[in-house]
Amino acid sequence: MNNKKEKGILAVFDHPNRLLAAVKKVRQAGIRKLDTFTPYAIHGLDHAAGLKRSWIPYATLILSLTGWCLGFLFQAWTSAVDWPLNVGGKPFVSWPAFIPITFESMVLIGGVSTVLILFITCGLPNRKLPALDPRFTDDRFGLFVDKNDPYFDEAKLRHLLKECDAEEIKNVA
Amino acid sequence: MIPKPQSFELSGKLKTLFGAFVAVGLITFIVGLKTGPDRAWSNFLLEYFYWLCLGLSGVFFAALQHITASYWSVTVRRVGEAFIAYLPVAVVLFVVLLFGLHHLYEWTHLNVVEHDPILSMKKGYLNVPFFVIRAILLFAVALGLGGWMIRNSIRQDKSGDPRLTLLNTKISAPFLLLFAVTFTLVAVDLMMSLAPHWFSTIFGVYCWAGLFYSGLAMMAIWVIALRKKGMLAEFVTDDHLHDLGKLMFAFLVFWGYVAFSQYMLIWYANLPEETPYMITRVSGAWKPVSTALMVVKFVIPFFLLVARPAKRRDGWLMFVAFWFLAAQWLDIYWMVFPAHFDKPVFGFMEIGMFLGFAGIFSLCVGGFLKRVSTVAVKDPWLEQCLHHHQ
Repeated sequence: MNNKKEKGILAVFDHPNRLLAAVKKVRQAGIRKLDTFTPYAIHGLDHAAGLKRSWIPYATLILSLTGWCLGFLFQAWTSAVDWPLNVGGKPFVSWPAFIPITFESMVLIGGVSTVLILFITCGLPNRKLPALDPRFTDDRFGLFVDKNDPYFDEAKLRHLLKECDAEEIKNVA
Repeated sequence: MIPKPQSFELSGKLKTLFGAFVAVGLITFIVGLKTGPDRAWSNFLLEYFYWLCLGLSGVFFAALQHITASYWSVTVRRVGEAFIAYLPVAVVLFVVLLFGLHHLYEWTHLNVVEHDPILSMKKGYLNVPFFVIRAILLFAVALGLGGWMIRNSIRQDKSGDPRLTLLNTKISAPFLLLFAVTFTLVAVDLMMSLAPHWFSTIFGVYCWAGLFYSGLAMMAIWVIALRKKGMLAEFVTDDHLHDLGKLMFAFLVFWGYVAFSQYMLIWYANLPEETPYMITRVSGAWKPVSTALMVVKFVIPFFLLVARPAKRRDGWLMFVAFWFLAAQWLDIYWMVFPAHFDKPVFGFMEIGMFLGFAGIFSLCVGGFLKRVSTVAVKDPWLEQCLHHHQ
């Protein structure tokens, strides 16, 4: 999320509940430009940080239904149009026989394209992104507040974060 | 801090209503026996199996939560456990069903069996005494092992002994194994043996998928109704409903998967000993019912329940749960009626009998919930359950 231009304050917490409480307090102070770093998903954090629901599930739905249609049409085309093939005396477009592959192509197209969309919208992979703190992949929880936020007041913020039992508060330049 | 659950009692109005349902059911059944016994008994079997599945579903749900040591479900588990209250009635109604066997099952007609090589080969299995023994086995597992499990859960409300949770985890493992076997046997007896020449190896799973499909819906209805009355308000959050809704959605898809697997393999292999069952159902007068089953039980509810808000809004979830129950009725109708009728029949008979059983079930469950706490208040997982988030 933060490229090299972004500067601000990074607070490190040793317990997810402390991070949650801190996020709520910081948001109460009016700050909206913040980001959190955790080694695993924390329930309630997206709500506390004021994140909206992602639009990606809708993309998945539409792409899955597209995959469903394409899989079905492809089978109908190969077996009944391009090279009509009589199997067991059944009618040409015998839909029950197509369902398993139709289902699989729905899962495949829906699944793979969801991952691709996720990577593209998040700008991944990006090796230029600095790792703020390697401990965020292990046992520490980070809260970053952007300096450009209109409510950013360093002294006040440092005081607030200290009150929230931040283990460490540092400037990110 | 754990809130204190309010005690539950069916309101006088509802009690009268359910009592009236029972009376209506009884009258339609008696009138039906006089006017057309085949239809009356077909309806009796339909409703018997439908409500038996619902009674079993609660015990199955409780066992599933114990064996997986789930904490999300602690606040809704008691509602499921209450469904066991219908099972003793189901035992009595099974005795009633025995009087209708001759109307329902071709394999009880000994003169027919004698002249039918396949049925005489199956005589060692398909005979009335063994039929009764298999049903007794299911009731022994559900009321013996399952009842033991639920008694432990209720005992824990007073003692708060965490060892009871561990004991229930231990009971649930053999229970689930034995339940799978005995429920399959009874499903085959009650439903599949209507077409005694036919067989489907996935039939037990098919019926079980319907059992959990309707059971979860029934649980959702009771939980939401109790929550709206304020009795579970502190215990069941939207997150709990969301999980219940997700399970409903999962088993909706599971049913679709199993139903299609059964149909496709029979359709594809096209073997003369397997196809007659499907031919009667997918051609002629029954074709619209089969199509409706696919659409009503899978396609429509899939889109009704797929979105996240659909599982979190209690009013909507309740509507979908009622839809599930209607779809399950259609499924069992689809299994039972084509065996005896050339074309679909529907009228006061079907409605009246359904209401009768619904009345009995609701009175049993309501009575059970009146006697016990509506939440497992001293379950060691409860505290964690109250803080459950999606």
